[in-house]
Amino acid sequence: MAGSLGIKVARIVIVVAVFAAWELLSRTGMVNPRLLPSASDTLATLWELLQRSSVRNDLAVTASEVLIAFILAVPVGAVIGFAIAENRYFAEVAKPLLFFAFSIPKSIFLPMFILVFGVGFSQKVGFGFFSTIFIVIMSTTTAVESVKVDHLTVARSYGATPLQTAWRVYLPSMLPVLLEALRISMIFNLTGVILAEMYASRDGIGHQIATWGENFQMKQLLAGVVMIAAIAMTFNELVRSVETRCSHWRT
Amino acid sequence: MQPLANITPLKPAPRAGAIKVGNVGQVFKTSTQDVVALSDISLEVKPGRFVVLVGPSGCGKSTLLMMMAGLRQQTSGTILINDAPIPEPDPNRVGVVFQEASLFPWLTAEENVEFPLALRGVAKAERRAKAEDALKLVGLEGFGKRHPHELSGGMKQRVSIARGLVQDPPVLLMDEPFAALDEQTRMTMGDELLRIWAATGKTVVFVTHSLTEAVYLADEVIVMSARPGRIVDQLTIPLPRPRTYEMLSGDTFGTLRDRIWRHIRKSA
Repeated sequence: MAGSLGIKVARIVIVVAVFAAWELLSRTGMVNPRLLPSASDTLATLWELLQRSSVRNDLAVTASEVLIAFILAVPVGAVIGFAIAENRYFAEVAKPLLFFAFSIPKSIFLPMFILVFGVGFSQKVGFGFFSTIFIVIMSTTTAVESVKVDHLTVARSYGATPLQTAWRVYLPSMLPVLLEALRISMIFNLTGVILAEMYASRDGIGHQIATWGENFQMKQLLAGVVMIAAIAMTFNELVRSVETRCSHWRT
Repeated sequence: MQPLANITPLKPAPRAGAIKVGNVGQVFKTSTQDVVALSDISLEVKPGRFVVLVGPSGCGKSTLLMMMAGLRQQTSGTILINDAPIPEPDPNRVGVVFQEASLFPWLTAEENVEFPLALRGVAKAERRAKAEDALKLVGLEGFGKRHPHELSGGMKQRVSIARGLVQDPPVLLMDEPFAALDEQTRMTMGDELLRIWAATGKTVVFVTHSLTEAVYLADEVIVMSARPGRIVDQLTIPLPRPRTYEMLSGDTFGTLRDRIWRHIRKSA
């Protein structure tokens, strides 16, 4: 445990050092403070921004876009992934095609989404969905493949019904991979929605960040970056804490 | 854990648990040809007997075991467990113990043992009580709350055996259960299995690659040939019970072992 404590301390030291260097570079003028406002100013700005109702509104808009896209993309992607993994013919046909599709940067489709959906809420959700679904499909096929034939045979030999097999063997077998998929999908989803907001939008935190950037409001811009980073990391860590609890059955 | 393998077995009267295999054949159809995996297998196992199937890799001994478990259907012939065919798995008649890593890693040892009961909707308290009894029988009292990754290879297989026994089926089928264990653990587990068998009076059919294990454990050894798998010899092991390590170096043991080896060498 001493070792793991040491590692934790080292991590904290690194984070503190980054913030200290940031503060120092800006305060001493080694980097132009207009380009890089100090860490303390940025955090103060962040606090002040969070008090503004317009910023809170932007956050709420982005959060609902992200959540709706996520709630749509995960089950749809999971069902498609499951169907592909369970059907040999379907798998052989679709898998390479999915890999092709996955390799294309999704951002190049953004102008088309604007033409089809406009620049409002549905376009953000649509683009978030589109950015997320491929990784969900691919992760689900991996998750299904992680179910061991031995475990299925055991269930069968003790007379498990298909529903019992799904619930008691498939689901727990797949859970560690699925949680990881959830975590990574959220990264893609958040990226998609915020990119769409920055590109063309009337509201949302991504739109705000783009505006601050265009107006050279570096303090606000950096505060926005810290804000989104914090939100993304929180979600990531929440899922990861569940993940580590079931990591030992991942073999 | 009690290493009581060789204390006088007070064997309960064997209950039902007869196995009759009549002219069983198995043909796998591939795109190019039909492969005969098993050909004309007939054998009979009396209730309470310990029968070991040996043979070279690919002789179909595991396939035959899976058919007895109802996990697979033969192409021809009949298999009767307790005088009834077994078209699908029937945990009331047959418990199966698989090779290593068949335990569910997300369940504790006792939850793994309870699994067959949970499938049938047995109440929690009754399930727990039965699992505790089964774990005690295999010498794992007090280990119920551990997960498989916290158990040694031998302990995992004890849990598998407990899972196979928890519904108290008259027949226990074991598919190379100790194959992944190191030699010492394997010998200990052999003794443990004999103790459990003596205490429960089950009919056991045990598949193995190890000739020593076969002769050491069995009342009767059935030797199979390579594909197409058929029975080439059937030996009754006259060694008295309880079996002891001294018997391993005895003449009888050596002679029996050689006889099996000659068959296997011929067909491999």
